[in-house]
Amino acid sequence: MSAQGGTTRDDTALQAAGVRRRQGRGVSNLAMRGLQLLLALVVLGLWELGGRAGLIDQFFFPLPSDIFATVWTWVSSGYVFPHLWVTMQESVLAFVIGAALGLFLGFLLARVRFLDRLFDPFLQMFNALPRVVLAPIFLLWFGLGIWSKVAFGVTLVFFIVFFNTLEGVKGVDRVLVDNARMLGAKESHLLRHVFVPSALTWIFSSLHISVGFAITGAVVGEYLGASAGVGYAIAQAQGVFDTRGVFAGMFILMVVVLVVDVLVNRLERYLLRWRPAR
Amino acid sequence: MSTTTPPDRRGDAAPEPALVWRGCTKTFETPGGGSYDAVRDIDLVVPAGRFVSIVGPTGSGKSTILNMAAGLLEASSGEVESFGAPVRGVNRRASYMFQQDALLPWKTVLDNVALGLTFAGVDTREAHDRARVWLERVGLKAFTDRYPHQLSGGMRKRTAIAQAWIVDPDILLMDEPFSALDVQTRQIMENELLNLWSGSGKAAVFITHDLDEAIALSDEVVILGAGPGSTVVATYEIDIPRPRDLLEIRDDPAFIDLHREIWGRLKQEVERTYAAQNERESA
Ligand SMILES: Nc1ncnc2c1ncn2[C@@H]1O[C@H](COP(=O)(O)OP(=O)(O)OP(=O)(O)O)[C@@H](O)[C@H]1O
Ligand SMILES: [Mg+2]
Repeated sequence: MSAQGGTTRDDTALQAAGVRRRQGRGVSNLAMRGLQLLLALVVLGLWELGGRAGLIDQFFFPLPSDIFATVWTWVSSGYVFPHLWVTMQESVLAFVIGAALGLFLGFLLARVRFLDRLFDPFLQMFNALPRVVLAPIFLLWFGLGIWSKVAFGVTLVFFIVFFNTLEGVKGVDRVLVDNARMLGAKESHLLRHVFVPSALTWIFSSLHISVGFAITGAVVGEYLGASAGVGYAIAQAQGVFDTRGVFAGMFILMVVVLVVDVLVNRLERYLLRWRPAR
Repeated sequence: MSTTTPPDRRGDAAPEPALVWRGCTKTFETPGGGSYDAVRDIDLVVPAGRFVSIVGPTGSGKSTILNMAAGLLEASSGEVESFGAPVRGVNRRASYMFQQDALLPWKTVLDNVALGLTFAGVDTREAHDRARVWLERVGLKAFTDRYPHQLSGGMRKRTAIAQAWIVDPDILLMDEPFSALDVQTRQIMENELLNLWSGSGKAAVFITHDLDEAIALSDEVVILGAGPGSTVVATYEIDIPRPRDLLEIRDDPAFIDLHREIWGRLKQEVERTYAAQNERESA
């Protein structure tokens, strides 16, 4: 039910968690970190050697050392920061607007059965639409500036947050609601003390995905037509067959998303501290 | 504990009973598209201040009856009255202790107990102060900052008791509140419940599978017949004097006589339920 992309990402996360738990017994955390670093170095090293030996075409797969050199140039010259700033603005706006709409409509439809039934087919229809096809029309509607990317990101974020909120609110244990009502809870109390906290678990599982999608929306939008942003920088590099630039842009985005994910994790751990440790 | 004048347990002087079920029938729709009468024509009176237990075979509609009194479930026909007024929506004079855990897992023990006050608009500081008093009363003073999953089953029940009592209801509805506990803990909880209740003047409707428990606690035991369409088949007056010592009461000759008598009747209904189940399975 949760929107596309959600399930696969969740599944891999679950599998990864399972693997981590199984291995967690034998190998200490520090040793595992060391092994991971080693693995990364081996892969990059083989890539580098393969490239230098001419086994790997350097045009399509530039040497890791060249990619890092390009990243360093972009960072040290300050070239990438204005682009990153634009992308971040678009992502944050897309996320905030999309999440707010998703939460609002999710809670509303979960609590008002009539509206849920009324809107259901339309929401399914829009959700079925591959969102990328909206990018060109948004470019026409909102121009080359940030708002076409924001609008695009919103359509991605909204559905994930919306469906997860809907499920989260509907999935609240009946007896918790009954108990609260017996203790005198009005609808607004139920929302604040029962439904929102209960839905938080779901909303958070979707938060990782929707934050990622907000950034995806911004970058894809920029790639298709923009005058600034990391997606634009990648498109520029591609335009002059600068694969190093393309890879450098990818790397920088990856790091940014990782950092954001860590922050989201922190927030999640704080807000869900009432949950039994697993 | 009884500082005020004790309420009249016979109920004939009290003009308005705490709860009256008048010809209540509840029909559920079954998944197959048919309908199923869970209870039929329930007539029952619980006077103010009286402790009434309801026993009956599984599926006889005990929870259904209680939910109608709570206002969580509407009768298909008939009506429930509480203190003279028909129950529409949630019954504001009643508290409910559920069989399952109904504490909010994301709130601490203190916040859970204070919940009813929070909903009533009491400010947080005062609500917490009053919740602390209640937590001390149920012996959980040291656990105010824990989350429910960090408590034992017995402690969660104590928290639930404090949560239900803090709003000072006139009626306590309890649906097998202690059935998930081990025998020792259950006896302790029964004792504590009785201590709280004595002299409180609150009406209590207590559902249980355990006839011992029902007799030990109550002024009156009501037997529900086997379903479908079960109804009140017998009521028994429990005239064992109070205060009662729950740890000794099971050896009391009056208790033993009552138990034999009531069990004789209850057994028939249990056997009928069992037979009906077997029939349905072989059909
Ligand atoms: N929402 C519902 N929809 C359909 N049937 C229901 C519903 N709730 C209860 N019933 C049926 O009504 C009957 C009475 O249910 P109820 O829960 O009141 O029994 P009970 O006496 O509390 O049983 P137990 O002792 O097992 O808790 C049962 O046969 C049950 O299957
Ligand atoms: Mg029941």
